[in-house]
Amino acid sequence: MNTELSEEAVEYGRTALRAFEAAGGDQIVQDAEREPARRADLVEPVLAELGAWDLDPRGGADELEAVAALCRVAGWWALPYPVAERLARPADSSTDGLVVIAGTGPGGAGGTGDGLGAGDAGLVGYGPAAPVAGLGRRWSTVTFDGGRGIATAAPPATTPRYGAFVTGLVDDPALVPSQASRDGDGLADLALGLVLPCWTLLGMLDRAIDLTRAHVLAREQFGQPLARFQGVQFQLTDAEVERLGVEELAKYALWAVATGRGEAVDDALALRLAILEAADQVFRVAHQLHGAMGFCDETTLSWISRYSQPARRLPLGLSATRDELTRRIGRAGLAGPFAPRREPDLEVQPL
Amino acid sequence: MTTPAISTADLAEFRAEVRRWCRAEVPSDWRRTQAGASDDEFVRFQQEWFQRLRTAGFAVPHWPAEWGGGMPVAQQVVLYQELAAHDAPRLVLGFVSIHHAASTLLAAGTDEQRRRHLPAILDGEIWVQGFSEPEAGSDLASLRTTARREGDGFVVDGQKLWASGAAHADWCLLLARTDPAVPKRRGISYFLMDMRSPGIDVRPVRNAAGESHFCEIFLNGVVIPAENLVGPVDQGWQVAQSTLSAERGMTMLELAERLGNAGFRWLVETCRTPGPGGGRPVDDPRVLDRLAELDTEIAGLRALCRGLVERHEAGTAGPVEASVVKLYYSELLQRTMDFAVEVAGLPAHAELRKPASSGWESGAWVLDFIGSWEWTIPGGTSEIQRTIIGERGLGLPREPVVSS
Repeated sequence: MNTELSEEAVEYGRTALRAFEAAGGDQIVQDAEREPARRADLVEPVLAELGAWDLDPRGGADELEAVAALCRVAGWWALPYPVAERLARPADSSTDGLVVIAGTGPGGAGGTGDGLGAGDAGLVGYGPAAPVAGLGRRWSTVTFDGGRGIATAAPPATTPRYGAFVTGLVDDPALVPSQASRDGDGLADLALGLVLPCWTLLGMLDRAIDLTRAHVLAREQFGQPLARFQGVQFQLTDAEVERLGVEELAKYALWAVATGRGEAVDDALALRLAILEAADQVFRVAHQLHGAMGFCDETTLSWISRYSQPARRLPLGLSATRDELTRRIGRAGLAGPFAPRREPDLEVQPL
Repeated sequence: MTTPAISTADLAEFRAEVRRWCRAEVPSDWRRTQAGASDDEFVRFQQEWFQRLRTAGFAVPHWPAEWGGGMPVAQQVVLYQELAAHDAPRLVLGFVSIHHAASTLLAAGTDEQRRRHLPAILDGEIWVQGFSEPEAGSDLASLRTTARREGDGFVVDGQKLWASGAAHADWCLLLARTDPAVPKRRGISYFLMDMRSPGIDVRPVRNAAGESHFCEIFLNGVVIPAENLVGPVDQGWQVAQSTLSAERGMTMLELAERLGNAGFRWLVETCRTPGPGGGRPVDDPRVLDRLAELDTEIAGLRALCRGLVERHEAGTAGPVEASVVKLYYSELLQRTMDFAVEVAGLPAHAELRKPASSGWESGAWVLDFIGSWEWTIPGGTSEIQRTIIGERGLGLPREPVVSS
């Protein structure tokens, strides 16, 4: 088991980081927030230049790793664009991307059984939603039990300043496949659709640590940089330990997806749970050490923090993710890199 | 200043009186009318509410009797408990005026300054604190705004930051450097600055929640008459220290009572509200556990504040009690708001309007959570409070400090 990203994938990530820096870097999300209509134009040409549309995350470990590296870069710059979701689109490009939605049953907005009418479309918090406002119309969806479907993105109900490009996904019966698919492909889609956005969030954690490290080294109070105070150092090191831990887990879950392991969904959920916990700690430390300025538009941290919210809340937030993982693995636990193989005759009762 | 002891029966009668008053005077619809209120509506409502409290003798109970206060501490505790229990609007706009400005004037002001400003504050004069600067946050003593002696006054140049509510202020409590040649704490003076003076430019700073009650104040050759100096020249640091340490007793008790009364009730209400899937958070044992934990912690906080106020009154408060209360309140507030955000789920993220005039726990949980950072960062960060508790409370060695 080698979970390290290939040198090619790492190099691809470096190239992508520079390409987006040249395209505006931190300015990209700020421009997109001011002029949401330009969102695609600000990001897609760079993705094309990087050959991102030729990457197939289902096409083997090398391509999947390159996609993960690119998602991580998207997080670093808080790109106002669902790179992970777009690149996970079906192989035949019949839809604009793939998003995981809460609930079970056939995919699509009607699958959550919440009984809300179409009039609620676009209202964040009342049904499936994803940060896909103003991009393509048709989105493949997959639920937590692997049910696949197709939904259309509603017009956003609020400005990106408050909605971070999140919008409701509306079930379109005409677009739902005639037979709801619950086969292995649905679960593979689920694992992929969970893992890639975690790589985007990982890039955001990388950036939050990097910005905070730079800030405490530069900001002087009491005649010395904040970094000289051990109380400051220890907070940042605790956050960094969290980030390093989920980085390892992200590589492991990616490997589980790449090798098509049966427990890839469990690993993806474990990664999501861990990275949501890590994100809470990393962003809290980053904000506390940035001081009041960290909450103002003048600091990059404020933008990264705000645009991290969709990935941290959708499709499931922290406690709901924990709940989902607990239900799924029951008493069997995770396979993991070190656990003994499950005995085939050990019957695990579903909860 | 010790106030006379008060009998249990008198206190019960006072509580009944405050309750009657709250039932009659607290506007039942203020949360609705203050949600999304314009700046003008907010100011009008705050001024009106302040006058209503003043008429009842509840606006400045902590002031000395000759200036319109004089309420015994035991009664003040009851007053804040009842206002919190009745979810009364909070005095947000006049907070600096009735606390920081008044305590500065009472502790270090001249008779003339008191006569000019204390009655004006009762009539609605609004004050802002002009202490922090871009390079002087936690290390306030490194401030760079200068006040140069010129004729019968001072000429001020510099920049202030995080001046909460500066856009509405009539007057400013200003710290400025009058002697750049001496070690930094010794060359600072304390001024009362008229915000209508020429050369003052107030610019709002927009925060992540889209609010801009924080402001930058740019000072360009602002003339302050010498009679607006508080305390001796170059002794401003001592004046600021004495008034800052006076602020944390009853104000913290008021906040703790709010968190424990209406605040916690809102939280329980949120836990009882069915989510989009139909289930109620309160039916989840993990939610109940957290609620019980927070309720216990809040009870502890209220007891801490009560003790601090009583010991402050008796003159037996220790050197770090205020830091303990501030640290505990701020982090408990953050934990509580964080839990509320988790329970309220995604719809809370789409709740963009917080009722103005509410406390730190308004029920617009995401905005409240962001707002809770205003407690662990300003007024001495949590790191500073821990250092104070370690050094002055536990007698641990001082952290090495490079600057003088």
